[in-house]
Amino acid sequence: MKRKLLSILLTASMLAAMVSGCGSKQEEGQAPAEEAQTTAAETQEETTEPEAQTEASGEAITLKWAIWDKDITPYWQALKEEYEATHENVTIEMTDLGSTDYMTVLATELSGSGSDFDVVTIKDVPGYATLVSKNTLEPLDSYIADAGIDLSQYGGVDKQVTVNGSLYELPFRNDFWVVFYNKDIFDAAGVAYPTNDMTFEEYDALARQVTDTTYGAQVYGTHYHTWRSAVQLFGVLDGQHSILDGNYDFFKPYYELVLGQEDDQVCRNYADLSAEGLHYSAAFSGGDVAMLNMGSWFISTLIANIQSGEYDASLCGNWGMVKYPHAEGVEAGSTLGTITGLAVTSVSDQKDAAFDFVEWVSGEEGAKVMAETGNFPALMNDEVAGIISSLEGFPTDAESKEALSVSNLYLEVPYAENVSAINDILDTYHKSIMNREISIDEGIAAMNEEVGKIKAQ
Amino acid sequence: MNEKQAALVRQLEIDTNTLMEKIRQEDNIKKKQKLIAEREKKQRKLTAVRNNRIISREKKRDLVAYSFIAPNFIGFAVFTLIPIVFAFALAFMKWDGSNEITFAGISNFLRLTDDTFFLAALKNTIIYVIGTVPLTMIASLALAIVLNQKIRARGFFRTVAFFPYVASLVAITAVWSMIFHPSKGPVNYILLNVFGVAQENLPKWFSGNLVLVTLILFSVWKYMGYYMVIYLAGLQGISAELYEAGSLDGANTWQKFKYITWPQLRSTTFFVVVMLTINCFKVYDIAVMLAGGGDGKLSTSATVLVYYIYQNAFNYWDLGYSSAIAMVLFLMVLVITLIQFRYEKKINS
Repeated sequence: MKRKLLSILLTASMLAAMVSGCGSKQEEGQAPAEEAQTTAAETQEETTEPEAQTEASGEAITLKWAIWDKDITPYWQALKEEYEATHENVTIEMTDLGSTDYMTVLATELSGSGSDFDVVTIKDVPGYATLVSKNTLEPLDSYIADAGIDLSQYGGVDKQVTVNGSLYELPFRNDFWVVFYNKDIFDAAGVAYPTNDMTFEEYDALARQVTDTTYGAQVYGTHYHTWRSAVQLFGVLDGQHSILDGNYDFFKPYYELVLGQEDDQVCRNYADLSAEGLHYSAAFSGGDVAMLNMGSWFISTLIANIQSGEYDASLCGNWGMVKYPHAEGVEAGSTLGTITGLAVTSVSDQKDAAFDFVEWVSGEEGAKVMAETGNFPALMNDEVAGIISSLEGFPTDAESKEALSVSNLYLEVPYAENVSAINDILDTYHKSIMNREISIDEGIAAMNEEVGKIKAQ
Repeated sequence: MNEKQAALVRQLEIDTNTLMEKIRQEDNIKKKQKLIAEREKKQRKLTAVRNNRIISREKKRDLVAYSFIAPNFIGFAVFTLIPIVFAFALAFMKWDGSNEITFAGISNFLRLTDDTFFLAALKNTIIYVIGTVPLTMIASLALAIVLNQKIRARGFFRTVAFFPYVASLVAITAVWSMIFHPSKGPVNYILLNVFGVAQENLPKWFSGNLVLVTLILFSVWKYMGYYMVIYLAGLQGISAELYEAGSLDGANTWQKFKYITWPQLRSTTFFVVVMLTINCFKVYDIAVMLAGGGDGKLSTSATVLVYYIYQNAFNYWDLGYSSAIAMVLFLMVLVITLIQFRYEKKINS
């Protein structure tokens, strides 16, 4: 009897816990009926009060901000300090969630109702798609309209992350891909430097020209990091294809290009790179890689590490950069980009103050702070480009400066509802193709089929 | 004692007496025992009321006992039991962790049949289990038998065998990826120079079909030390007299193993196999560390069930679907363990 009673009690308590677990979720959905009025009243109070008080720099506001790698990324602290200097009543509190699995951790933090973040940094688009579908971010359209922000200043990237007509983040950092090259290697081989206007054929020929396969003194003409973007996404530069297409036949020439280079030892092979986990910075700073296609974030890393002596300046100190190569008939300067944005959480109880911070960081003042720390703000103009190209350690040749101007920017991953799953499928088969587990055609057929399934859902 | 209590006492007295009568008349032994228990209960209550206590002494004793269990049990219930039951329920739901839960019926399970990545993960996991369990068992038993002999530096060799189990997974996977490096690793170097394998035919240990072989080899190497210790304990539990008697009857080493060691170790083997099977089905860390490359993502040739569960839960936030996969994993482990238990029982009887 007693045992039975105990088990009944247990089941009852479990059920109670489950029901209450679900209940709190339902409350979020349904409670607005009763709670909406109170929160509406509250927000009204808040919206009216701060307005009256910001002028008199009124009550103290603390904004909680989610970021990553606080100690090795210079701009978080700089942005915080600059903003606090001009907004005396606001304190920004940063929480470092680490960079490796930042978006996963953030999504977990924002699940349920336990989070107290006001502003969150959006690191990548798949993670952004997840957060939007989880209803954890606040649509910014009305705020943007009220503040009169001209979105055209972001050069069209905002359109690639618009969800059903609404924007949930404002970009503040915008990196684009360029080709870094090691001038010493070209000088030694007596080959002319790469230019800002190269077709893929010219690029391939150049890479093969500087390659030296002598054992013990190898020089690789080019280097591709293990990321999918480094190979596949040559295909989207024509502006007619995107990774959301569902048909990936346009990847084929670029897989053939890279695997062909691998065969001829023009670049290191993927299986090796993946086994040893070689970082692209180590490959380039080792002084045996002539060209490297990589994002503009590598500029500040290179400058800083050469100055500090971390990278041997005699191996890679004499570097330059040019625009991405392009297919025949496509405008030079078309390249891939990655944006980092800020968003306001839907649970924040001080959304106006939060948006003010987002607006500031993604606006002109924020852009200046970003440029001064050697990073590329989303709001790119001549002044900002000037700040970066005049940084100490930036290559002095005209081509490198010119490489900073981008004609068309395509996001590595534009927004789509299932982009997270599509992204993983492409990653998976990229790995299989590059490891030569399957042929290029098989890999592309598998991509088409699997993404087709996702899109059909 | 007030009137109400007095009435209760009277009532209880009458009850116990009638029960006593019933017990005397009852012939069926089972029913009789039941009635006796009932009477005892009444009597306990009676003593409690008579002595003016709210709860009986027995009940108090029970409560004290439960309170000792409570700290552990509450933790278990909150962090293990409820989540497990919740996961069962989730397998039939659609939930992204934030929006409302909706009922999905068995659609999560239907999706499994057409999911390339799930099927690949299932296949790889099963191959891994089939490869790892017997190999680890044989290797650890062999090690245990060798290291149970009176050989020189036995303690040292035991430590050596146990060392991989203690060493950090991250560190030793880094070492393995250097040893089996497709173009610079010593293994392939030996294959190239000693065995004359052509350079383009050198095995790529971390991709294609070979990656599972590498995973199995690694796992056998890492965990055999642990199971060796369990086997050693089993071996030392075998009485020396049995071997002595065997020697007198002229049994050779193989016969001694076959007729003494192996049967005597049966319960140890059972434990080892059950633990190994369960642990192998849970494989995740080894696969991600050895085959994940730079970004820790597994391609179809190396993906395993737990990885796919994690991916669905925390990358796609499809908690219902990931719970459904977890259920499949759970059922597989459950069924295999039940079969093993039944087999063990059959042999014992």
